Amino acid sequence: IGLSDTAVMDMMISNLQQQRQVTEQLRREAAIKRISVSQAVLDIMKYITEHEQEDCLLVGFSSQKANPFREKSSCTLL
Amino acid sequence: MCVLVHCTYSILLCFIRGYKTCSESNFGKEQLLHYLHAVHTQCRLLEMVCYRSQNFTDMASDGEFKAHSPGETIEALTKEAEALKAKLEEERQKLNDVALSTVAERLEVINYLNIKPRRVLKGHQAKVLCSDWSPDKRHIVSSSQDGKMIIWDAFTTNKEHAVTMPTTWVMACAYAPSGNLVACGGLDNKVTVYPLSLEEDVSTKKKTVGTHTSYMSCCTFPNSDQQILTGSGDSTCALWDVESGQLLQNFHGHAGDVMALDLAPSETGNTFVSGSCDRMVLIWDMRTGQCVQSFEGHQSDINSVKFHPSGDAVATGSDDSTCRLFDLRADKEVAIYSKESIIFGVNSVDFSVSGRLLFAGYNDYTVNVWDSLKCIRVTLLYGHENRVSCLQVSPDGTALSTGSWDYTLRVWA
Repeated sequence: IGLSDTAVMDMMISNLQQQRQVTEQLRREAAIKRISVSQAVLDIMKYITEHEQEDCLLVGFSSQKANPFREKSSCTLL
Repeated sequence: MCVLVHCTYSILLCFIRGYKTCSESNFGKEQLLHYLHAVHTQCRLLEMVCYRSQNFTDMASDGEFKAHSPGETIEALTKEAEALKAKLEEERQKLNDVALSTVAERLEVINYLNIKPRRVLKGHQAKVLCSDWSPDKRHIVSSSQDGKMIIWDAFTTNKEHAVTMPTTWVMACAYAPSGNLVACGGLDNKVTVYPLSLEEDVSTKKKTVGTHTSYMSCCTFPNSDQQILTGSGDSTCALWDVESGQLLQNFHGHAGDVMALDLAPSETGNTFVSGSCDRMVLIWDMRTGQCVQSFEGHQSDINSVKFHPSGDAVATGSDDSTCRLFDLRADKEVAIYSKESIIFGVNSVDFSVSGRLLFAGYNDYTVNVWDSLKCIRVTLLYGHENRVSCLQVSPDGTALSTGSWDYTLRVWA
């Protein structure tokens, strides 16, 4: 009896709010549409194979001259 | 409801006790006053509870709080939450029909990568904490524990600007899409924007855009120079308007420091991912501030998150020494990139342009390059003399930049 009860009351009410938010979030997540891992993986693989040739770090450059970061040659700008 | 009943019961109890005491002893008057006071307090509490219930029903119009009904006790909600969690796990497992590495078996192994260290950027006088490529694919901004932010020309290794921040530990820095603005922040809890100018001192035109209640760990410009998204040690993310400094949206949901964030690749996309010390990966809708998906799996703090270029998956790096791939449409973890011999935490991850290679910077001073599909390590990049704190593939995918506690940045291509 006394002030501590007010604090307890406050806690009870905010715990309720918190739990309500947690449960509502879970309801939202449970409602998402999911696809199978096999399908998802195939789609990722498709994207990768389509873009593989543009990936310089993966396939390299046709000649090192095309690499903007190649070692600096001995030429200098006049 | 039970709160009201409890109060009423307590009040009755007080009256009864008061009456009994008065009739039993000679100290009646004092005791009575004491109990009357207790009754008064209970009445006030009751009043407060009624007032609060009133407020809850008033808020019902926001759609956020429903009227306080008996079905919505904490016990009922907790039970529902447990049931939902179990259902989620079940649904995810039902669709877990194959392992990523199995599907990737038919692909050829990556035999050889011609990635060599090409540039070393020296100039910082303390640990490099963060870096970002300019959209022009040539400049890099880096921030350091020495309180400086340096803009480098990665081709020539020249330093074009050096800005001194009023604080040390500048933990995050980012280039704006135009290439004319950089943002940074850290222990000062603020995100400050600097317009880059060759004519005058960059610090003169700086502008503080937003302030968190704890350190800022990461920042990025979502679509334009006008908005900036930040993540903070106060466990929230925030979207700010650069011009007015106004907070446009707040993202609450993490239970620990937000360590990293990344935007979804789509031009029209409005989602981003965040990783936190609470081991959770959360996907957010920028417009509503809602968390739309969540992933768990890591055993320790998540230090880095990056979207796969396809936009359908996110990779994460953590102190638990593993990197993981979470698929957004399958709503689960689909790959772990780890080896028994790797025991040091991962600080930063990034994908190559196609998404086939996953680069990860570790506390053991190395960068591991993973085949994201076959889930095997392709090669190791050695060169740094202290932990790799940040790494990023250049916008056109021609190079990889790494920053380290050894005070340098290196460019690999």
